[in-house]
Amino acid sequence: MSSLLEVEGLNVWFDLEGERELHAVQGVGFALEPGERLGLVGESGCGKTTTVLGLLGLLPPSASVAGSVLLNGVDILAGGEESIRPHRWVDLAIVFQGAMNALNPVKTVGSQIVEVLELHERARGREARTRTSELLESVGIPADRAERFPHEFSGGMRQRAAIAMALACNPSVLIADEPTTALDVMVQAQILELLDSLCRDFGLALLLVTHDLPVVAELCDRAAVMYAGEIVEHGPVDALYHEPRHPYTRLLFAATPDLYGEGVPASIPGAPPRLDRPLVGCPFHTRCDRAFGRCTHERPLLRELEGSRSAACHLNDVVAEVV
Amino acid sequence: MRGADYIVKRVVFALLTVFVAITINFALFRLAPGSAVTNLARVPHATPETRLAIKRQFGLDKSKFQQYWIYLGQLFRGNLGVSFANSQPVATNLRTALINTIPMVLIGTVFAILLGTLTGVIAAWRRGTKAEGASVTTALAFYSMPTHWLGLMLVILFAGVLPTGGMSNEFLLNPSFSTHVKDLAEHIALPSLTLGLVLYGEYTLIVRSAMLETLGEDYILTARAKGFRAGAILRRHALRNAMLPIATLVALSLGYIVAGAILVETVFSWPGLGRAVYDAVLQRDYPMLQGAFLLLTISVVFFNLVADLLYFKLDPRITT
Repeated sequence: MSSLLEVEGLNVWFDLEGERELHAVQGVGFALEPGERLGLVGESGCGKTTTVLGLLGLLPPSASVAGSVLLNGVDILAGGEESIRPHRWVDLAIVFQGAMNALNPVKTVGSQIVEVLELHERARGREARTRTSELLESVGIPADRAERFPHEFSGGMRQRAAIAMALACNPSVLIADEPTTALDVMVQAQILELLDSLCRDFGLALLLVTHDLPVVAELCDRAAVMYAGEIVEHGPVDALYHEPRHPYTRLLFAATPDLYGEGVPASIPGAPPRLDRPLVGCPFHTRCDRAFGRCTHERPLLRELEGSRSAACHLNDVVAEVV
Repeated sequence: MRGADYIVKRVVFALLTVFVAITINFALFRLAPGSAVTNLARVPHATPETRLAIKRQFGLDKSKFQQYWIYLGQLFRGNLGVSFANSQPVATNLRTALINTIPMVLIGTVFAILLGTLTGVIAAWRRGTKAEGASVTTALAFYSMPTHWLGLMLVILFAGVLPTGGMSNEFLLNPSFSTHVKDLAEHIALPSLTLGLVLYGEYTLIVRSAMLETLGEDYILTARAKGFRAGAILRRHALRNAMLPIATLVALSLGYIVAGAILVETVFSWPGLGRAVYDAVLQRDYPMLQGAFLLLTISVVFFNLVADLLYFKLDPRITT
């Protein structure tokens, strides 16, 4: 049986000046079952957002995309813009980062929800406005605020409105790109709670893109850790936390401040490799505390491990040999 | 109602601006070197008595402050004075010139706005393609051309096909209405075209940059993610937002329509306001100049006000 959403071998290249290319996303693949919640984590610039925009076909013309995106077994990426567009918002809806400018400043919040209902013929006129009121109330915004403009909303309310807008066409997958970034901690908690209850109530599958590990831990079943454009480890959140199988995952967790823990969060020295030239060896070996000879010249592939997880690290071979 | 305060404030500010401009206009022309009398007398060796008589006749013997006071008083009653040059009421002179100018400049400006908006939108929408390069290069080329040079080139190109001077064919005796309109349209074509071509480049560049800025906004990405087609995004989200700076520019340039276009009107012997001002400067015709500048001031201030109010209407973020 095919998954609800299955991404296979997704690659994204950006054209640079002088015939050069930047390989921003390198063979990313994951699957999402109905109602499942997957977190896509990694530091800034690792290709999380590019992956999401790539699978929706929303990247600028300077980007070329390869790979397949199967929605209920059908490749929506194969037919280009024409084959993706009917699925946007209807099957795959997205909540953007910050929501600061994700809403058009010169249109009322309500009209921006109404327009998407009308576009996908879910409702028109009075019916669409009624539905908009319901949507806004379902995220905790009083219905009479529909006539207000985005700048009259607080940051948290704008994010809620963006979530309400994403729910307009009852999508099966909700993609949230840094939904809590740029919000204060209290509002962050409220938004996470809202996402949690909405996913449960509507049986939504959630693809959560964030650099914030605690957010993933709180909300997601599984997580995929991205580094330098590829997924380096993928598995259940608990397993990743307690028994990481890639040094990057371990260091990433160690770099997260722990409210109850002691000591200072440890930063990972160095910077990710440049992606505009071919990589030799493991992309992480220059920053890895456990790199050895093989890491400098042989690139580790993402391999399946026990417990429905996978990782791309040579150490897993060594351990297997030792054990 | 949102913005009643705002409107009142803007209107009061506009009236104040007009008053200040009137005062400056009055002072400015009296600071210019040369004297009205030298020209009026047209006799270089006029006796001091003659000069004094002429000065008295036009009230130039009074102090500057008295002159200003009289001017304000008359202005308030709607009297713009009498032209030093042809002894006609300034209001009559201005009206004739204005009626000649407006259609020519309006057609040129509207042409420039339409062509500029179209090429600007295309340049932004087709960013990085040959279409953008062609559009921007052409716009810059026309923008940089001296008006009188372009006018002369068009004269060379179209002489024989279209009339190159004046407003109408004076040899048409008692033309029928349709003949008259056709004749007028032929005469207006070249000056309007010249003006339009010189002006449109600015619109192209401003529309392009406004559109590019808008197209890079997050809400455009949202609109795409919602599943809108490119054309619908352009209409629903991009144009409306890019209109903000463009609306201001359009309103402001409409204000300058009454200024006429001195260069175009000179090249094509168009008897409009631009030439009237030019002649008035040469003849130190103070009342005429004051009248023309008053008209220009009121028009510019009025359209500024329109731009402010339009902006207020278009952008809900503007508060008083």
